[in-house]
Amino acid sequence: MPENFDKHTLKNGMVLLGEQMKGVESVAFDFMVPSGAAMLPEGVCGAANVIEDWLFRGAGEKNNRTLGDALDGLGLHRSSSVGSSHITIGSTLESSSLHQAIDLYADIILRPQLTDDQFKPARQLVIDEITALDDDPKQKVMLKLRELFYPQPLGRSTAGDIEQLRNLTPQKTRQLVSEHFNPAQTIFAVAGKYEFDKIVSQIERLFETGTKRSAQKIRTEPVAGNYTHIHNEGAQVHIGLMTPTVGPADEDYYNARVAISILAGGMSARLFTEVREKRGLCYAICARYHCMRGYAGIMSYAGTTPEKAQDTIDIIIAEFSRLSDGITADEIDRAKAGLKSALILQSESSSARASGTGSDYFFLGRIRSLDEIKEKIEKTNADFVISFLKKNPFKQYSIVSIGPKEINPPSAQQTRVN
Amino acid sequence: MEFKQKILNNGLNIIGELNDSAKSAAVGFFVKTGSRDESMQINGVSHFLEHMLFKGTEKLSAFEVSAAFDRTGAQFNAFTSEEITAFYAAALPEYISQITSIWIELMRPALRNEDFDIEKNVIKEEIAMYQDMPDFEAAEKCRTLYFDSHPCGQSILGSAENIDNLTADQMRSYFNSRYVPNNMLLVTVGNFNWRQICSLAEQSCSGWRQIPAGRNSDDYAGSCKTGRIEKPNIAREHICLMSHAVSAQDDRRFAAFLLATIIGDSTGSRLFWEIVDKALAEEAVVRLGAMDGTGVFQTYIQCSPQNADKAMDTVSRIFSDVAKNGITEDELAKAKNKILSALVIKNEIPMGRLFDVGLNWLYLNQYRSVADDLDAIKSVTIDQVCQIARELKITDYTRFSIGPSQKS
Repeated sequence: MPENFDKHTLKNGMVLLGEQMKGVESVAFDFMVPSGAAMLPEGVCGAANVIEDWLFRGAGEKNNRTLGDALDGLGLHRSSSVGSSHITIGSTLESSSLHQAIDLYADIILRPQLTDDQFKPARQLVIDEITALDDDPKQKVMLKLRELFYPQPLGRSTAGDIEQLRNLTPQKTRQLVSEHFNPAQTIFAVAGKYEFDKIVSQIERLFETGTKRSAQKIRTEPVAGNYTHIHNEGAQVHIGLMTPTVGPADEDYYNARVAISILAGGMSARLFTEVREKRGLCYAICARYHCMRGYAGIMSYAGTTPEKAQDTIDIIIAEFSRLSDGITADEIDRAKAGLKSALILQSESSSARASGTGSDYFFLGRIRSLDEIKEKIEKTNADFVISFLKKNPFKQYSIVSIGPKEINPPSAQQTRVN
Repeated sequence: MEFKQKILNNGLNIIGELNDSAKSAAVGFFVKTGSRDESMQINGVSHFLEHMLFKGTEKLSAFEVSAAFDRTGAQFNAFTSEEITAFYAAALPEYISQITSIWIELMRPALRNEDFDIEKNVIKEEIAMYQDMPDFEAAEKCRTLYFDSHPCGQSILGSAENIDNLTADQMRSYFNSRYVPNNMLLVTVGNFNWRQICSLAEQSCSGWRQIPAGRNSDDYAGSCKTGRIEKPNIAREHICLMSHAVSAQDDRRFAAFLLATIIGDSTGSRLFWEIVDKALAEEAVVRLGAMDGTGVFQTYIQCSPQNADKAMDTVSRIFSDVAKNGITEDELAKAKNKILSALVIKNEIPMGRLFDVGLNWLYLNQYRSVADDLDAIKSVTIDQVCQIARELKITDYTRFSIGPSQKS
């Protein structure tokens, strides 16, 4: 274990992780509850989002209003999200209120009231958020891209399905909570200013159930197609593109990260230079790494007016393909500098560190120290990256476009949504 | 934390806040210019210039500029508002001098015609991108309606037509009148060497010529007009309200900030409990926009078209109630806790601190430590917040919405 990290495992298997940060007054924590969109059964798509809202509408002795007031009274800044594997709820706050906050979160996770009258507005808000995605094509295209790229149920929408939500009942949703809120498989991650011993004894008291419950296994199915177009009379065609790459535990992981950085790490990276600077095709263009357990990809976004959309996608794909032809020493140096510096800058933020340690543990079963990551980045070079790219050429692209005009994807197979 | 300050003979302000225990530092140039300083004819030029500065100098091409930044691993960017154009970067301490040198060079850009022509396309793509963001568009159109003929109502990006008509000469002449040392500020915060930054600036910026650069900073209380546009591809109603608030120079800004939090923070506020919690709208927030010489409360509501009237009735009722009956001690205490912890969290990171230090200097010509701001929030009384709520007439708002076609 790296020296500024802490770890403790409860008897039931729940893992507590910590990262001490010097010179900060804040602390951030996340509870990663294994009940994300892909972990729930068929036919209740969006239930995780309803649960995430419903949990906060009364817990323990407190009703909706008094719970909200208690959280606000501590001055904490809440964050919660629904992913494929987890519902993550947590907050960032001044460290003096940490233990009071954990008490409240234990009620929210273990003793939510989940009353019938609070179910309706919780569900309505989730349905409204899905409808509102139509007005945010930039976000919608990336959500749809994940659905297309990952095999089901990993690719299941993390926003929800309106029809399935309409059929969802409070009874059914309560049942999902009792089946899937498994403390034994919950990860707790904290970063910033804290005393780990105190946290351990508090969480032991609150979350130790004694019973071990194993992690749920999911079976994945093949992906459906490789191009989807959603028609929208907007000003731009929003393009999302994703291609497979290696996972975080792979020996080539850092070669992949350097490759992505060469493509899209900074303003001198290839996509920005070729698509925006030389040709003026886009304002927004980016690419990043994204993964789930067992699957990973490079995800790229570009937004452009209809007449430029085809050129944009063609050049993006050409840049992906060209990468294995050669990389300059300066490109490698810039990519490494960017990755290392991002690491240090991120290490100053308690909320970024709490979510970083939590996801590290989920994907790798351990936490990587900053020194380890730095060292592995240092070790890559142009030859390693090229040989990785030759071994794993970019062949398959999943593409989603939203806008007034379709594009021609590199191969013919496609589905259309109206 | 230690504050440092120096003014060059040509009026360039250099300030710094040293924090030896930080792992990084942030450095940037803040230029006191934005869309409010433009004539209608060249509207959009401030934002265009922000892009053009990255296109390089007589010595450096655009690619060389980007590569020079990227070699340091810096996270860097820029933004343009109605009144400020800011260029900023965060990086490890050992690179800060190098990055400061790049920024200094870029403040005297080549502004080449060929770069200008290609960048027009990028700017028009950016305009198109925002057209697909109705929340942004509603806010911008509401601002224009609110400020009427006051220059703060001018679009930051400008229209595509204006960008087409803009000439490189117009841009250069605007640059010459606004990017003058007396209208600029060099700020550094975090872990860095103050003497090194000063000597870099003395060597390279002392030759910049001082020219008076003023601005119309009149206050304006808003037009109270109403407008709406329909777009066939829109699913939700996006409603923006603007009403008169305090300026960035006004001592009452802390009370106004608390009032906005009490009425419209994203959780636990009056709008949250009456509108979002009840699922009348998925979003209902109020924020304070304290600007140079004037200020606005800006409200944003996003809901189904069917709920728009009901949501607006609720907003109006809450605004009237706060104006008439004020707020409670309990609400004030909670809002203070939220703001105090947000200030602490934000200022732990040099990039967050850069903006507070820089903007305080730009607006107030004053250094304020984090503790100064924390104390200012703590010392606000309930009477001060109630007085603001009464005097500022939040009920007299300008309203602009974007939504789908209304069936008759």
